[in-house]
Amino acid sequence: MKLQCVSLWLLGTILMLCSVDNHGLRRCLISTDMDHIEDSFQEIKRAIQAKDTFPNVTILSTLETLQIIKPLDVCCVTKNLLAFYVDRVFKDHQEPNPKILRKISSIANSFLYMQKTLRQCQEQRQCHCRQEVTNVTRVIHDNYDQLEVRSAAVKSLGELDIFLAWIAKNHEVTSSA
Amino acid sequence: MQTFTMVLQEIWTSLFMWFFYALIPCLLTDEVAILPAPQNLSVLSTNMKHLLMWSPVTVLGETVYYSVEYQGEYESLYTSHIWIPSSWCSLTEGPECDVTDDITATVPYNLRVRATLGSQTSAWSILKHPFNRNSTILTPPGMEITKDGFHLVIELEDLGPQFEFLVAYWRREPGAEEHVKMVRSGGIPVHLETMEPGAAYCVKAQTFVKAIGRYSAFSQTECVEVQGEAIPLVLALFAFVGFMLILVVVPLFVWKMGRLLQYSCCPVVVLPDTLFYQGARRVFLSTSRSGE
Repeated sequence: MKLQCVSLWLLGTILMLCSVDNHGLRRCLISTDMDHIEDSFQEIKRAIQAKDTFPNVTILSTLETLQIIKPLDVCCVTKNLLAFYVDRVFKDHQEPNPKILRKISSIANSFLYMQKTLRQCQEQRQCHCRQEVTNVTRVIHDNYDQLEVRSAAVKSLGELDIFLAWIAKNHEVTSSA
Repeated sequence: MQTFTMVLQEIWTSLFMWFFYALIPCLLTDEVAILPAPQNLSVLSTNMKHLLMWSPVTVLGETVYYSVEYQGEYESLYTSHIWIPSSWCSLTEGPECDVTDDITATVPYNLRVRATLGSQTSAWSILKHPFNRNSTILTPPGMEITKDGFHLVIELEDLGPQFEFLVAYWRREPGAEEHVKMVRSGGIPVHLETMEPGAAYCVKAQTFVKAIGRYSAFSQTECVEVQGEAIPLVLALFAFVGFMLILVVVPLFVWKMGRLLQYSCCPVVVLPDTLFYQGARRVFLSTSRSGE
């Protein structure tokens, strides 16, 4: 009887710790001003998407179909996709228009801030990625590599609304408005 | 003779080269900017409004214009050759620039300025330490406390969409509980509490900027008191009953007084039967005496 009680207590504690951890992770990006990032994107969305020469192809298609089963998936996907944009997309895109350049710079620097915030949240635990989530990230990179780099960068920029919507859905970020 | 010619040629070539080299600084001087670069760059940031300032470049009788460019941490790490022209300060006159619309993320930003006079441009002068907007000075918000009847109403200073407010209010009595209300934006009157008459209420507020996760200090506490102007319910009841009594009693009193006055001044006198009979007998008696 005592053994059963102890095991139940242990299980309860583990579950509680897990939920606290996961809840904390979900709220990691709560201080980021997502409204500003979305507004910046909306201002340039039409101009960017007009430059897309392959409208029938989607690079972030797998993100939309990914089933989030565990809260750790949120951490992993966010980390991977922020890295995708910061390390590849923004660098590969060369914007001649100063007005659009300002908005892209604003989004890029905001993503950099989000990476820092996410890293602070992760300091206490590791953000392990499930195989399925790793596969999704790999597919996104493969889709990107299949296109000519400038076209791929423009297309990925145009699909930012998919990523921003995913963040809003999965990170419980409250609106500042 | 040939040797002499050769020597002359050499001397002539040397002279020519010397002259040419002497001229180079003069030629270069025309192309190199002689306009000095702006100095003493600094950023004054208060309540998320960021102002880049510098010492003006003065040229007698001329107006010098300035251009400002910025580079976020992303650009400095990944595309360090890219500087972005400031939204409002391409060829601006004053020795300052509002870079609020340029500093849009909470990361360090590099800022640089150069002076322009006609076709001359100075070298770029870069801000010594990159500026991060989380170092902005947050001041306590201005607030106006008003009484709308018994309603405690607060109107906070409008500081823009990045600011939210935390309002603390309590009843000024020992052991009173402090209430806290989150107000999303300033410039609009907000109802806090319905006050009880005769009690004093105190309010203070601070700002919160979500983008940098910081609070300002609390404002000075302001207290308001509501006078006990209203008659308590019991007294009101008594007043009502008294009024109704007056409505009934006064007419009754007036009528009674009227009747009394009527009796006292103009009474209807009716002699009683006994008196009337007595008077007749006396008449009868006095007649018989006089008749004997």
